[in-house]
Amino acid sequence: MQSWRRRKSLWLALSASWLLLVLLGGFSLLRLALPPRPQPGASQGWPRWLDAELLQSFSQPRELPEDTASPPQAPHGGSCNWEACFDTSKCRGDGLKVFVYPAVGPISETHRRILASIEGSRFHTFSPAGACLLLLLSLDAQTGECSSMPLQWNRGRNHLVLRLYPAACPRTFQLGQAMVAEASPTVDSFRPGFDVALPFLPEAHPLRGGAPGQLRQHSPQPGVALLALEEERGGWRTADTGSSACPWDGRCEQDPGPGQTQHQETLPNATFCLISGHRPEAASRFLQALQAGCIPVLLSPRWELPFSEVIDWTKAAIVADERLPLQVLAALQEMSPARVLALRQQTQFLWDAYFSSVEKVIHTTLEVIQDRIFGTSAHPSLLWNSPPGALLALSTFSTSPQDFPFYHLQQGSRPEGRFSALIWVAPPGQPPLKLIQAVAGSQHCAQILVLWSNERPLPSRWPETAVPLTVIDGHRKVSDRFYPYSTIRTDAILSLDARSSLSTSEVDFAFLVWQSFPERMVGFLTLSHFWDEAHGGWGYTAERTNEFSMVLTTAAFYHRYYHTLFTHSLPKALRTLADEAPTCVDVLMNFIVAAVTKLPPIKVPYGKQRQEAAPLAPGGPGPRSKPQAPAPDCINQLAAAFGHMPLLSSCLRLDPVLFKDPVSVQRKKYRSLEKP
Amino acid sequence: MSCASVPGGGLRHPLRCRKPWDEECEEEAVCVIMCASVKYNIRGPALIPRMKTKHRIYYITLFSIVLLGLIATGMFQFWPHSIESSNDWNVEKRSVRDVPVVRLPADSPIPERGDLSCRMHTCFDVYRCGFNPKNKIKVYIYALKKYVDDFGVSVSNTISREYNELLMAISDSDYYTDDINRACLFVPSIDVLNQNTLRIKETAQALAQLSRWDRGSNHLLFNMLPGGPPDYNTALDVPRDRALLAGGGFSTWTYRQGYDVSIPVYSPLSAEVDLPEKGPGPRQYFLLSSQVGLHPEYREDLEALQVKHGESVLVLDKCTNLSEGVLSVRKRCHKHQVFDYPQVLQEATFCVVLRGARLGQAVLSDVLQAGCVPVVIADSYILPFSEVLDWKRASVVVPEEKMSDVYSILQSIPQRQIEEMQRQARWFWEAYFQSIKAIALATLQIINDRIYPYAAISYEEWNDPPVVKWGSVSNPLFLPLIPPQSQGFTAIVLTYDRVESLFRVITEVSKVPSLSKLLVVWNNQNKNPPEDSLWPKIRVPLKVVRTAENKLSNRFFPYDEIETEAVLAIDDDIIMLTSDELQFGYEVWREFPDRLVGYPGRLHLWDHEMNKWKYESEWTNEVSMVLTGAAFYHKYFNYLYTYKMPGDIKNWVDAHMNCEDIAMNFLVANVTGKAVIKVTPRKKFKCPECTAIDGLSLDQTHMVERSECINKFASVFGTMPLKVVEHRADPVLYKDDFPEKLKSFPNIGSL
Repeated sequence: MQSWRRRKSLWLALSASWLLLVLLGGFSLLRLALPPRPQPGASQGWPRWLDAELLQSFSQPRELPEDTASPPQAPHGGSCNWEACFDTSKCRGDGLKVFVYPAVGPISETHRRILASIEGSRFHTFSPAGACLLLLLSLDAQTGECSSMPLQWNRGRNHLVLRLYPAACPRTFQLGQAMVAEASPTVDSFRPGFDVALPFLPEAHPLRGGAPGQLRQHSPQPGVALLALEEERGGWRTADTGSSACPWDGRCEQDPGPGQTQHQETLPNATFCLISGHRPEAASRFLQALQAGCIPVLLSPRWELPFSEVIDWTKAAIVADERLPLQVLAALQEMSPARVLALRQQTQFLWDAYFSSVEKVIHTTLEVIQDRIFGTSAHPSLLWNSPPGALLALSTFSTSPQDFPFYHLQQGSRPEGRFSALIWVAPPGQPPLKLIQAVAGSQHCAQILVLWSNERPLPSRWPETAVPLTVIDGHRKVSDRFYPYSTIRTDAILSLDARSSLSTSEVDFAFLVWQSFPERMVGFLTLSHFWDEAHGGWGYTAERTNEFSMVLTTAAFYHRYYHTLFTHSLPKALRTLADEAPTCVDVLMNFIVAAVTKLPPIKVPYGKQRQEAAPLAPGGPGPRSKPQAPAPDCINQLAAAFGHMPLLSSCLRLDPVLFKDPVSVQRKKYRSLEKP
Repeated sequence: MSCASVPGGGLRHPLRCRKPWDEECEEEAVCVIMCASVKYNIRGPALIPRMKTKHRIYYITLFSIVLLGLIATGMFQFWPHSIESSNDWNVEKRSVRDVPVVRLPADSPIPERGDLSCRMHTCFDVYRCGFNPKNKIKVYIYALKKYVDDFGVSVSNTISREYNELLMAISDSDYYTDDINRACLFVPSIDVLNQNTLRIKETAQALAQLSRWDRGSNHLLFNMLPGGPPDYNTALDVPRDRALLAGGGFSTWTYRQGYDVSIPVYSPLSAEVDLPEKGPGPRQYFLLSSQVGLHPEYREDLEALQVKHGESVLVLDKCTNLSEGVLSVRKRCHKHQVFDYPQVLQEATFCVVLRGARLGQAVLSDVLQAGCVPVVIADSYILPFSEVLDWKRASVVVPEEKMSDVYSILQSIPQRQIEEMQRQARWFWEAYFQSIKAIALATLQIINDRIYPYAAISYEEWNDPPVVKWGSVSNPLFLPLIPPQSQGFTAIVLTYDRVESLFRVITEVSKVPSLSKLLVVWNNQNKNPPEDSLWPKIRVPLKVVRTAENKLSNRFFPYDEIETEAVLAIDDDIIMLTSDELQFGYEVWREFPDRLVGYPGRLHLWDHEMNKWKYESEWTNEVSMVLTGAAFYHKYFNYLYTYKMPGDIKNWVDAHMNCEDIAMNFLVANVTGKAVIKVTPRKKFKCPECTAIDGLSLDQTHMVERSECINKFASVFGTMPLKVVEHRADPVLYKDDFPEKLKSFPNIGSL
């Protein structure tokens, strides 16, 4: 009985368990068979197909041979692109050579000066046959300066029609295969990679030099207006964007209160400048904003941004969709200070590098075309888009940014740890034995080059030095001193005059300082420039003053790139000027470096200043009480040629950390610098 | 399937599945159930009473089976829940063959041919993107359907493997939305990757009947192989009206700049072959051509090059004499020599990518993968992603008519540039070519950048390989600009309760000509600052800011009151600096506005014994930091210190009440990549480090703490950003033999 009951209870327990098991199992099976319904709120996504592995590839290998059935062809219906319409075979050798059609008939002053400017540039050639680009100036219809079809037109092949100003000549003849460089071309007519988009220049745009950017500080001042709006009548008004009402006309429901806006002719002090993208005239506003350091916000521009082929406008302007005003406004308000800071600075750099003068605009146009011809040896984007810009960073020098003195930070590189000393021996020509020994004694010296530049024969014997010594027989010209000799192997050059006198520790210290400032000149003796009210011109002096703006190149460290710049980018006239007035060459070199860096040079201590200052000065032989100040006319000629005064003054000298401190001499690394 | 339990098998092996056929038990639990039920049916409960001695074992066995079954079923029930969050379980498991069929009537509408003048602001409806938060467009994908014509003949292959991958990648990305009403961009699931596999008119009709088609605006089509024989158009021939086209073979004639997106032709070899990265440098062949089926004219040109330059040029073709079973796609031949493809590409410095009938060639992807620099010879070809990628850095483009000069053109490239190009080529492949996913996401990013340009990715982010990104520094104050002297500086004095000393500092600092404002940061919450009348009367505005908490970081807060760019941070006990010294410091800052300009300098050194950094306050010949007890700097660094300081440094400094100056030195050096400028001979302030009353011990703890700070910061920054220099700035005529009264800054203090 008991066993039966036990069996019964067991039986019950067992069957109950079975039931449970079957139920549970059944559910599981059910779930396998029927996929669950997706839950309403959950994101479903693209299905994972069960047979995804079996799907065929979009291209089957056997298709490849079929590809070849037809012959290669380059179809183009009347339109042009670079490969089809430009013949690069004429551009062999030393880059772009440009022939400009001379003007026919009477021409305006502007036209004449533009012609002169192109003729003075390094691109120019007088022979149309040898030119790779033929330039047709198309300036102003009103003054009747429209040219008829030129002689060598050849259906416009290798021609560039340059329309600097918006009121340009009507198209009197078929452009054919000619490229067009014009102000703010519409997006529809612009042929990317073939045409060149120019900025919309105001009529009174300076030919040369040009006004600097108006930005006086990196970051916006607190409390400055966020937004300035251009008005159709011309002029600007600022808008307070604190309110939620959208600021631009046509879309605002209510008229902004009187306290919110103010009408101004000149550009107001604002962080962003809103510019309509419809009217090409607005493009002139764009340039105005750029100069003022007001970040341009372009609303759906219908015109091509200037030099968009090479300039990365996302770094300096904001191109936004006019149809999303609130989003754009919110984005501007929320923009990080870091981005605003970067955009502001970029506007100034671009303005100054490519837009501030007509000459810069023309040279940039030619440089863009030259880059197309150069292909792989064109400017890398970094050179176009960071200071000092592609007009001052020649791609013929190098295409690797590390080779230039300007990009070490961006590249994470450092200037080389060695220098080459270049000693210029002018008449009367004594081999500078003492100087050679002092320089060769520096642990950083890699080589010594002697530039023998006088009538006396080369001495046959030179002192034994630890570093290689090379003698170059010069052409007796002062500009030889700044020729990019291929024998110079290092980044740094120590430029010396045979009569200079330096000690090894002076050289060592100056070189260490140069490594911190590879883009600047580091020198021992200085000159300073000043505005001479009496003569209404610039003057300069070698008097010792509290400030200086130039260092003498008879003892100075600088980057070898400046030799290339001196020789290959300066107009010939300036180099001739230097040859004719040798004392001018120091000023010229300082002008170049200052124009590139926009910074003053650096002075380091010079021990023998008191006694032997004279031998360092250029010019005639014999001791003098002071370095000779060369003719003041030189500086004025240069300022005219540069279009502005690039020199900047500095009031500091970089000394060793313990220089002349009342501490133990044993502590000091550069003891001999302090010796009287 | 039949399973049987093993009687008396004991607890260890209560049952075993026997599988007479190759079929596997789908799930162990299923097997358990079946085994158990089989047993139940055969033996049944009727057997149980007959068992006498063995029944106990049977019970135990049965119970174990039931128990195990329950556990297994339970696991089966609950285990899948853990993966439910991933897409796998949620998504329909279906076959591509089962998708709904849509019949297209022969007379259903066809879209317009395609508008060549389309631009984002004319053909793209940006209002649809108004909903999208965080400056990210939302993309909707239409459900997959199979389209057939009136006769039931299908319009195209339903979907290719690559297009399925592409849609999956979009679906898995942040761009995806399944809400058609909130989408800004629509991607049809109609596969047009290869034009040759579809019927043009019917595909167009299929596009036109999509629910949000609306003349194709905001629709994105992906096509890699456009055109067909004989003339091979360079863009997809399917009429598509305003739809955007991401195309793989655009020429300048068909590409709508700023509207279409040029994409690569995906090479299936990218996934099949694993080519490890090969370092840049010279390789066995200078120039290599690996394409098969080239036009005879081109092949002649190439062979002429080979004849002229011998060993350094290698022109390969397809193999004619391969034995059966060898994949011809993966082999190339030169005469009778057989090469593995794409491995052979790694042996060449430059690889030719010639146009075929189509401009876009999949070989470009293989070449980049091999780190070989592509020499693109295809006139008017729009290179992939050319809107954002700088192809000059990774390729050489040669006009077709100059093909015979290609060797000399390449030889004129300096070795260093070649190596950079090789590195760049491989980086482009890794980032934008190597998978369908990479191609899809780059395309969407480009469109996203057009719609939200203010949030766009920069040139550097697109183009700089990681190595360069890591090594480079982009100075936030990169513009060489000497601020006008007239702007002056704002002095910020951090004080707690030393009122007397504070007033002396205020009086001293107010004598500096260029001071334009004085800001006192009152860091004491328990005590009110003195009454207005008690403060020294000075010629510039004086503002007092009270802080909420006594924190060192208050000194570097970007107060709205700071109107000048130059900031002088000065402690409330720095009274020894002369007016000349401070004015000169400001002048120096104007020449170096992106640096910290301070007075006493300090140095960090590597302690070789302890293997860590050490703080050095000895008077050495070198400087790598300046004390911020008195230092000029740009006010932007206040913003960086407060909001962008890496890691927990800011809180750490506040908690330790020390080293805020070292932190500032680290921050500025790290962001600008430049050294500090120490001005004038000043070596110490009041000298907390050397004149403490109980001397040496305090001094040593101080030094240990400061060293700890350096080590802590170096580890947070992941590098040692401080730069060591051997110079300081003095006035031009400092200690020169020159009449003192003629010097601008005659009174430059002492040590």
